[in-house]
Parts: sequence; C-alpha cells; structure tokens
Amino acid sequence: MGSNGIRDRVAIVGMGCTPFTEHWRKSTDDLVLEASTAAATSAGLGYAELDAFWLGTLDSGVSGLTLSKPLKLDYKPVSRLENMCATGSDAFRNACYAVASGAFDTAMAIGVEKLKDSGISGLATGGGGGDGTAAELSAPAMFSLLSPAYAHKYGVAEPELKEVLTRIAWKNHKNGALNPLAQFRKEVPKETIANSPRVAGALGVFDCSGVADGAAAAIIVRAEDAYEYTDQPLFVKALSLTAGPATGASDPGYDYTSFPEVVHCATDAYQQAGIRDPREQLGLAEVHDCFTPTELVLMEDLGFAERGLAWKDVLAGAFDLDGVLPVNPDGGLKSFGHPIGASGLRMLFECWLQLRGQADQRQIDNGRDLALTHNLGGQPGACVSFISVVGTTRD
Amino acid sequence: MSIPKPGPTPVPMSKPFWSATAQGQLVVQRCQGCGTHQHYPRVVCRHCWLTELDWVTCSGDGRVWTYTVVHRPGHPAWEPEVPYVLALVELDEGPRLMTNIVNIAPAEMRVGLAVRAVFDDTADTSLVHFAPVDRPLPTP
Ligand SMILES: [Zn+2]
Repeated sequence: MGSNGIRDRVAIVGMGCTPFTEHWRKSTDDLVLEASTAAATSAGLGYAELDAFWLGTLDSGVSGLTLSKPLKLDYKPVSRLENMCATGSDAFRNACYAVASGAFDTAMAIGVEKLKDSGISGLATGGGGGDGTAAELSAPAMFSLLSPAYAHKYGVAEPELKEVLTRIAWKNHKNGALNPLAQFRKEVPKETIANSPRVAGALGVFDCSGVADGAAAAIIVRAEDAYEYTDQPLFVKALSLTAGPATGASDPGYDYTSFPEVVHCATDAYQQAGIRDPREQLGLAEVHDCFTPTELVLMEDLGFAERGLAWKDVLAGAFDLDGVLPVNPDGGLKSFGHPIGASGLRMLFECWLQLRGQADQRQIDNGRDLALTHNLGGQPGACVSFISVVGTTRD
Repeated sequence: MSIPKPGPTPVPMSKPFWSATAQGQLVVQRCQGCGTHQHYPRVVCRHCWLTELDWVTCSGDGRVWTYTVVHRPGHPAWEPEVPYVLALVELDEGPRLMTNIVNIAPAEMRVGLAVRAVFDDTADTSLVHFAPVDRPLPTP
C-alpha cells in the first residue's frame, strides 16, 4: 500500500504569479486573470488550448465559476477545491493527476485568495468538528504551542530558542527584500523582530506570516510533450498528501515537537522521487513558514536536519540563501505573504524561477536540479501536509 | 459595553462532564473493556471501540505538556483578560485537555508544571481551570 507516484509523467511548462500584497484595487477576477494570463503566456498557450482547470481557494469562491467567468472559458471542466492552507498545492496535485491519467493533454492549476475587502480581517477560521472540542485559539497561539515543547524536549533555553525563531524571520525577510513580488520587501533587524509586540507565547508580530491577496498558476502537460512548449520544463518527481487523525490536542502520544503528517508525507515523497538525502540532493526548498516555530520543526520533519538539532543549523545559517540547503529563498509565507489558496503555487513559482536560472538577485547556484515545496494546512496535532518535488531533467 | 463570553453548550454526550464540574469534580470516560481513559467524551473507546464506557472522577492532578500566553485573543470577549495562559494539561489518568492556567504569572509558566483542577462557577456553566498545585485558589 502507499502511493505509486507519477514520477516524470507530467511537466510544468508555464507559470505566473501576481504580487502578493493588500490588493485594495484588484478583485478576485483581476487576480485570477493576471496569474492565468501570465502562466498561459509563458507556455505559449491560449485558454482555448487548455483542456481542464483546477482552482484552489479557501474563501474567494465556491465553484469553478470563480475561474470560468473572468477567463470566459467556454464549457471547460473547472473544479474548485479547498484543503485549508494546502489548497493551492492540492489544486496542482489534482491537475497533475488529470494529465498523468491521460484524461487531458493540458491543464491549469491556479490558486487565489482575496481577503482584504471581504468584510473580515484576516482569516475566519471555522470551529472544530462539531464535537464540542473547538478551542478559541488564534492561529499564532496554536503554533506557539510548539516552542515550549520543543525547548523542553531538547534542552534549549527559552532565550536561545527565541533567538532561533528570530533568525528564521530575519532570514525570510532578508530573502523577501530581494523579491519584487513579495508583500514585505525590507530587511528587518533582529532586535526589531525580537522586540516586536507579542501575539502569543514566544511569538511576536514578526514571527507571523503576512496576510495578503494574490494568485499563482501553473500549466501542466504530458512530460513527453513538454519541450513543445518550453526549452526549460520542470518535471514532476513526487506529489504527496497526508491527512492526520487530528487527535493531537486531546489524545496523549502527540508531543508538539513535530508534525507526524509531514514525516509520513516526506517519506512518501522521497520514495517517489528517489531521494535518499534531501539535504544533499535538493537545490532549494519552499516550506510552510506560517509562523517561525513551524519552519524550525519542519527542518527536522523534512529530514533537512537531525532530530533536535535544527535549531543549531538555523543559527549556523544552514538554510540561508547561501547555506547548504536554501529554505524559502523567495521570502516564504513570512515575507512573500500568505493568500491561502495561492501559497502552494507561489512556492512552486519560486522553484520554477530558481531551477530555470531566472531568480535574479536571489539566484541559487549550487549545481543541484531538484526543488521541494512543502505546504501545511491546519495546526499542530490536526493537519494536512503536501509535498512536491520537481526537477529539470526527465530520468 | 462588555462583550459576553460564549459559554459551553452541554449536549447529551457531554452533559455528565458539565454536571460534574458544577459539583466541583472533573470526570472523564473510562472503557469497561480495556480501561483506557479518554477525554473529550465520545460514544466509543478510542482504543478498542467498545461502546461500554463509564464516567470516572479524576484526581484533578496533571502536568503542563505545553502552553502559550495569549496577548491577542481569538475572541473579543477575552480582550480584558490578556495576557492569559492557555495550556495543554496531561491528566494523571492520561487524557489531555486545553485549559486556562490561573493563579500564575505568564513568566512563571514552564513545561512539566504540576497543576490541579480548580472550578470557576462564576459563569453559567462551571468551568474547569487549573492552578499550580502549591497555589490553589482560595475557596470562593
Ligand atoms: Zn477500550
């Protein structure tokens, strides 16, 4: 049992991404049109030549019409789906499977979120499963629970752990400063980050990702057709999705220093892609840094660092732009911003730029040709995890 | 104008829990078959799926597994109370619950802290909170 994977059966041949920011002057229609047009244009395709569409959005639409209307699609299959913060990635996953199955020759995956003038501030998160256990916890509070548990288990002093978290935010801001599409394009001094107003537990405002509007899209074709569209396609090596039992908060056994969902997901993805040592083989990784402790824990869950030692690697700069494995070179959720439905495809967009040598000032040059995206939905103890691995050559 | 705090809504499954808190007692379910304790209340044992479950009174003692200090509440009704401490407490009987730690300064919080259940009956439904074992709340 497990996934067989679709290694090297589909390829990405076009991508587009809007700036992520507070788009007061743009509607959901504007954003999907901008990302779709950029993606289709970069693949040299018109909408009429695209066979099927998957739209990921949490809150900006409930059906395929959210895409078919602004794109004026004539009677094409358009699905809308949602999987919490992993929504965009799941749209990509479904589009890849559709092409791999032979049902369609070309497909578009697109993610969008337009929160700013939707009548709510930030994300309205629904209660739990109706079983009476929903806790009135903000998202930063949920993720801040990781810090004391991690510090206690691995004997890291509280001020030291705060320094680690600060460095993660500092690094992602530094990367975002080099990215013209990012929401926050400024380096932020460590002292400012460390002394920012507290939100929950050890987390200050600067430990939290930006709430933004935006859209990102990818064009997927059969791998054997890829070079008809571009000289530099990306081949999909692995797609993995795991949903946990969601019992972490109430049942003993979950220790709040890891996301078991991610560990299972990584094992599956690495098996599909034939990766034995992700830290040595991946050229870059885009991971779900919704809050700084999340990125810390993910370094261990994704096998980028030894269990209990990621904090040392963070302090040593292992995941910096010029580190052994650059993580979130585009600034991550932290400084690129987090329009829920779009984030998974935004991560992929950075892989698209980096592996094709188009990342300008952020360009990583470590001679490796594989990239990973990791997208998380939910909270510690109750989440879904998505991982993709893409590469420049078809084995 | 203060915003009222939404309280719990006992349902048939959880009614024994809330009836007990009104008596100053913390109860959880225990499986007649395998003896597993569980909380929140469910119709089956989470370990062996047996439906024969008893309600048993807990010692009320537990330890902090992890915690957070809320500076920005998830609901405006809690605005006047920030900063306050929320913790995942592991009961001596096994199950965990998310709860407030009271009678403690945020800076004093630590993983592993021994805590004991205290009952806040100022609300319509008596709520269970926890306080450091060496610092029980004065009886109201
Ligand atoms: Zn049982």
